[in-house]
Parts: sequence; C-alpha cells; structure tokens
Amino acid sequence: MTETILAVDRVTKRFPGVIANDAVTVDIRRGEIHCVLGENGAGKTTLADVLYGVYRPDEGTVTLNGEPLELHTPRDAIAAGIGMVHQHFELVPPMSVVENVVIGTSASQWLDLSEVRDRLNEFFHNYDVEIDPDAEVGRLSVGEQQWVEIFKTLYFGVEVLILDEPTAVLTPQGVQELFRILRRMRDEGLTIILITHKLKEVMELSDRVTVLRLGKVVGTVNTADVQMRDLAQMMVGREVLFQFDKERSDPGEPVLEVDGIHLPSVTGRGSLKGLSLTVCAGEVVGLAGVSGNGQNALFDALVGVEKPSSGDIRIGGVDTAELSANRIAQLGMASVPADRIAQGLLMDFKVKENLVLGRHRSNTFSRGGLLNRGAIDGFASKSIEGFDIRTPSASQSTRTLSGGNLQKVIMARELSGEPKLLVAHQPTRGLDISASEYVRRRLLEERDRGAAVLLMSEDLDEIFQLSDRIAVIYDGRIVSETTPEQADLESLGLSMAGADSVDVGSAS
Amino acid sequence: MTDQITDRAPSDPQPEDGGGRRDPLSMLFQPGAWRIEKRLVVRPWHEFITLIAALVAAVAIIAGLVLVIGKSPADSFAALYNGAFGTRESTLETLVQATPLILTGLAAAIAFRAGVWNIGGEGQFFAGVMGTWFVYDLWGGLPAPLLFVLMFIFAALAGAAWASVASGLLVRYGTNEILTTVMLNFVILYILSYLLAGPWQSPDTFYYQTQRMADNTYLPRFFSVSRLHWGFAIALLAALAVYWLIRRTTLGYEIRGIGSNMVASRYKGIRVGTVTLATMAISGALAGIAGFGELLGLHHRVQLDIAEGIGFTGIIIALVARLHPLGVIVAAILFGALVNGSTAMQYETGIPKALVFVIEGTTLALVLIAAMVSRYRIRKTG
Repeated sequence: MTETILAVDRVTKRFPGVIANDAVTVDIRRGEIHCVLGENGAGKTTLADVLYGVYRPDEGTVTLNGEPLELHTPRDAIAAGIGMVHQHFELVPPMSVVENVVIGTSASQWLDLSEVRDRLNEFFHNYDVEIDPDAEVGRLSVGEQQWVEIFKTLYFGVEVLILDEPTAVLTPQGVQELFRILRRMRDEGLTIILITHKLKEVMELSDRVTVLRLGKVVGTVNTADVQMRDLAQMMVGREVLFQFDKERSDPGEPVLEVDGIHLPSVTGRGSLKGLSLTVCAGEVVGLAGVSGNGQNALFDALVGVEKPSSGDIRIGGVDTAELSANRIAQLGMASVPADRIAQGLLMDFKVKENLVLGRHRSNTFSRGGLLNRGAIDGFASKSIEGFDIRTPSASQSTRTLSGGNLQKVIMARELSGEPKLLVAHQPTRGLDISASEYVRRRLLEERDRGAAVLLMSEDLDEIFQLSDRIAVIYDGRIVSETTPEQADLESLGLSMAGADSVDVGSAS
Repeated sequence: MTDQITDRAPSDPQPEDGGGRRDPLSMLFQPGAWRIEKRLVVRPWHEFITLIAALVAAVAIIAGLVLVIGKSPADSFAALYNGAFGTRESTLETLVQATPLILTGLAAAIAFRAGVWNIGGEGQFFAGVMGTWFVYDLWGGLPAPLLFVLMFIFAALAGAAWASVASGLLVRYGTNEILTTVMLNFVILYILSYLLAGPWQSPDTFYYQTQRMADNTYLPRFFSVSRLHWGFAIALLAALAVYWLIRRTTLGYEIRGIGSNMVASRYKGIRVGTVTLATMAISGALAGIAGFGELLGLHHRVQLDIAEGIGFTGIIIALVARLHPLGVIVAAILFGALVNGSTAMQYETGIPKALVFVIEGTTLALVLIAAMVSRYRIRKTG
C-alpha cells in the first residue's frame, strides 16, 4: 500500500495571466483512492489534464513506476497506463456499448466484437453491473453511461484511473453505486484519483486527500486522520482575507423579492426547488454555495431568460413573470454573468459596441432605428476613462482585452444606468488580485449609492468581505441565512456541502 | 480557470484557453516544440494574405487540370479573361451575369451574419420570379411605373414569405433551417412546375413556360449594345443598403449580435427569435428581387430553368466575400466573369464549360481553408 506509483514533482503550469499549478508535488500510492480537493479555480482539473497528457507542464516532472513520463497526447497517457473519465462523457450515443469500447482502439479493421463482448460481460458480472453490451449508449442512464466510460478505460488496461467530478451528474443513489464499484476496483489493485470539491465524498471514499488552493498544494493527509472541518479550512484558507473599510449598511425597502420559485433543469444549468430570497436597497446579500446547486438557474430566472414554473420574482414590486429580459432590465436590474465571454460579451464586436449592448435600442444610443454613433462614442470614451479599461481605442476588437478589462467593460455597461438592483455572479472569477479588488470596491460603491446587490460567489472570502447578509444555496434552495459577524467558516462550509439538508442525510 | 463552466457558444473561441484543449487542429498537430494554436486576433492583413494565397492556389490547381486535359493553361486563361473582360461588350455581359449573383450573395451574407444558414436562395429566387409574374398576370394593364413598383414589392414579399416558412419553423419549433430551406427549394420548384403546366402555361405552346411579357415591362438597358439592365443598379444599391443596415441600424447591430454570440444576446435582452425572422425576411426579399431582375431584365417569361443555380452560387459568393456586403459585389463580378468567360474558353480552346464548376468549387474550398488557416499561427514552444 505504500509504494508510490505516480509521482508529481514540482509541476508548474501557467496560462496567460494565471498560474494554474504552482510547483505542485503529490505522491499517488498504488492501490489507493486519492482525492484531489479544491475550490473552483484551484487547479484540480489542470493537474488532471497534465497527468492525462492534455497539457504539458511548464516545469516539473511526472514519474510513473519510477519512469519519467513524457506525454504529448491523451493517447500517450493511455498507452502508459493512465486513463481519465471526464465530467462530460466522450461517448457516441447511437452506438452500442461494445462499439463505444472498441471505437478508440486502433485495432485491426477486422474487429472481433464477440471477444470484446465477452470481456465486457465478464467485467460487468464481476462488478455486479447490469448493462447489456449491445444496448445503445444513448438509451442508457447517465450513471450507466459513466460506467461505460470507466469500463472503456479499464479495457485499455490502465493502472491509474482519474475521475473528474464524477458525481456531479449523478443522483445520490448513483453516487453510492459508483462508490461501491470504485472501492471494489481499488481492492483489486487499481489506483484511483478522484477530482472533487465535495467534502462529504472525500470523507466517505478516499484513503488520502491532497488539498489544492490557488494552484498550490496546501497539504496531503490521511483521510482517517482529519475531520470534515479541517479539510474545509484547508480548502478555503481563511488567512488570505483582505479587509475592506466597509460602513455598516442601512438597508431600505426590499428591491428584489423571490418567493418560492421552482425551475426545472431543462437547459443543463441546474434547477431551483422553491427558492426564496429578499434583497433590500443598500445591502449586499452574499449567496454562498458550491457550484451546480442552482446558482446558474437563479441567475437565468432573475435576468428573465428562463421563466420559473411556479413562484414569483418581483423587482421594485413589479412581477417579472410576463416580462422579457429587456423589460426586466428596464426595471433597473443590472447583471454581471458568471461566464463573461459566453454570456456577457460579443467578442467579435468593438469595445464601444459592447459597452452599449442591451441599451443599444434606448433613446440615448439610437434614434429611429439608427445607432447614434456620436452618443455611443461619447459614452464609450467616458466609460473607458471612468472604469480604467485598458484598450488602445474604443474601436478595438473586444477579443483582444484581458479578463480583467473584459469584466470592466461589463461593469461599466451594467453600472452606467445607476441600477436599482445588481445581480453579480462570480464577478471576480479568474481575475487577478487588483482587478478583483476593483470589482469588489465597485460593488460596495453601488451598495452605498443605495442599490440592492445580490452577490453569487463560490469564493467565501469575497462573500465575507462584501456581504451584509449571507445566504447559503444548496440543491436549489436557500438552506441557511446568517451574517458575516455571526457566521463561522466551518458551519458555513458544512452547510454549503449539504450537511443541513435533510435530503442528503437520508440518501447517504 | 480550467474549472470554468463550459457552457459556451460553440463558435466562441476561448482566448484564455492556453492549451487549445477543445481545438481539433492543435490536438492533431503537436510535433515536438512547434505547435499550431489559435490566434487571439485575426488582423485584416492575415485574412488578405491567406485569401490571395488561396486564389493563387486555385489558379495553380486549375492550370494543372487544364494540363491534364492536354491544353495550354496560358491560352485557356487568356481565352477566359478575354471572354470576360476582353471587350467593352464582354465586360458589360460579365456584369449582366453578376447582377443576380450580387443579390443572392447578399441574401446569403446577411443570413449568415446572423448565424442563420439560409440555403434556400434558389427557392426564394423562384418565389420572386413568381411574385413578379403574379402581379403581371393579374394587373398587367396598369401603367408601367405603377406596375414596376407593384412587381418589385411582390417579388420581395414573395421571397421574404418563402424564407419565412423556414425561419418560422426554426423560431417556433427549432427545426434545422438548413434542411428546411434546402427542401423548400424543391417544393417551390414543383409548385412552379404545376403552374407552368396549368394556369400559367402559355396557350400557344407545349413548353412549360408562360407567355412572353409585354415590351413595356422590360427593365430599361444602360447601353444599346449590351444586355446590362437596371437590375445591376438595383443590385449595387441593395449592397449599399445591406452594408448600411448592418453597420448603422439597431437591427443590424442585433443581427451581428446574435450571429456573434446568441447566448449573450439573449441575456442582454435581444429578441433572438424576432431578429431571426427579420433577417430571414430580408434575406428572402433580396433573393426575390434577384428573380424580379432576371425575369424583367433578361428572360421576360417564366421558365423552369430561369434560376440556373443562381441561389446556390450566391452562397459561395457570400462565403468568398467573408459575408461583407461590398465584398459580395467583387466576388459576384468574379464569378460572373467565370461564367461569361468560360463560354469563350470553350469556343476557343475546346475546354468544356463545365470546368467553371470545378473552378467555383476549388475556389470555395481553398477560400474556406484560407479563412480557417488565418485564424491560427504556428509558434515555437519552450
């Protein structure tokens, strides 16, 4: 049990503007289940991608069974004995299970499918899994598809199996079934690396756990030696908290009232199950939660691109059920989306064009269906100056801007109308420290001006710094509410992990 | 950063994606220390150089083909050029050929700008022809100016209506517009076949065609020696109008917006469905106007072979012009010259006219490759 199979030695991987892995050192032992734990952006997936040959490390080495690994592609990794199951499956839905297994092999063109079928049946039988090898993959449940992915990897004869957030797509029962199989595989000698941010899973399944934070290893511990709260603290790292001189808030009238909204998960952006929330003028409400618990769905419902199946959303007392996204914005709602490139900006457009997106039809920027170019230019140069957007000119292609400047474009656009309500989803994700600070200061300025601010963030530091009240979202509902003064990190972390939720308790 | 949500528009490149992870090209080529990666910014000169390279390559490939046939490439290209631009008459005839192509090219370009794949230019062209004839058939006795205006309006409306069948299905039910527009091409062709075999058939012939239209419905011509008619001016004006629409109006802003990033457009309150419908209506109207021009400028009677693939060639032209309305004019003249010059080439060198289709196809393929290549660069990595 103590023999090292995979040694990661001071691996560093940089991307423009961010160090995703900073001298990461991990020893993976043969036949263990090793969790890699960390918040979003901690560098977990980058590490897995380095091990799987998707990225090459800028510095550092990886050795497998004492031999240095030189991986150029995932194919090299599989040949070396390292397999990976991604969050998004790489299966061909209309083909059968058997066909999906052989499709990646470069075997001769005369495939003996019956032999593959026999081996699969043996696998399935061995692990008490009931899947028909001739079934069409598209008709299998998500859990079964995941097993096919896992068995596909095993078929290649890998020694090390990496799973990236495997439980994100599973029901609680599916999670238990997966864990049962993973334990069996471990007992038969397979080494399993599990990427996750869910504390409960780490505690339940792993032998050892390595915690990453901001690209660095915080530590590797035996799971049996620690409590969940120890891991929470390692993962979140309280000591890096910045201090803001924040006045006490003086909340006014409710601006945003969300009352028991349900939203089914049709778009793959999570679901809401009776969420209620109030944000008043002049306060910041921080919505803490692990990603995938309904934050995306809530954002969509507030912006108005999805309509709740039941429940009410009122902004300034006006019910938004029948209103278009455009009309809702005109009620005084501004929004900063989590994925600024996919949801907030037209990257092919000029900076000045993006600065008026959404208000391009307003009387300020258009006249009789024509763009008022003078007004747009004037507004753009004012915004670029006021928000310190670093761009050679207002006519520059938005694509060339850095992440921080892209966010400033969005902030400039959204704050220019002096909104009554500002919904900011992960407003500092991926930004460097100075840009983050700038964004946070702006959010507080909006609060002091009297706007109601809803801050949805997975960064607990940010939540603590900025919020006047904190609400925790879990599984599409608000499961607890507190204030930064009363809250302690451990209980907040536990409640984010679903410890307060009755459903999860009974399922596990 | 790599833990970011992957809910992105498919066409949206990811500048911060340093490794080019979901990028097929860079996954394919990772030879040692060199790697192919996506450019952050594609500058106009990148595109221009690759476009020129593509055209040079197209000429080289075609020269090779001509050699295989056993003819002299130099003579053939000379014949082709002289046939297209050799004399004043041939130049004007090239513009005659370019006229409908400008309009169907614009039709494709504006739809593609919005990310709506209208492959139904051919059918919408027929709709325009039929709209024109419908007015003539019904109110042929009206004074000419009024008749022209009515025919123009009905041609545009008919094209728009035919395109709207596809966009309506797309917006309402999410039906793939590529399939519906392609199939609607066939549908309208059969409707026209029926009309030409029945109600609209000329009483004095067995052919499937209408009567010849009265002289006062002919579009005026610019020079007595050529067939160049007012349709060319209409096409040029249309190109300017589309350019202006796309750059200067709020609708144009939204058309480009949904084409650039539909998700972000929706989040910022642009009504994607409405804009899609408007775009397709404009696109269909442009193709319909092409039908109006061809009927009144050249053919003067409705026949089944009146379109000659003009709607499909418009798609190629739009792509070669990189969806730029003014570029469409240049590309349409280039393709008009090919069509026109190939007749002379066949006459002088015996090379079959069908080579033009090879030239068109080769040019399109190379231009598309060039468009993609210009988005990448080769870089040495440490």
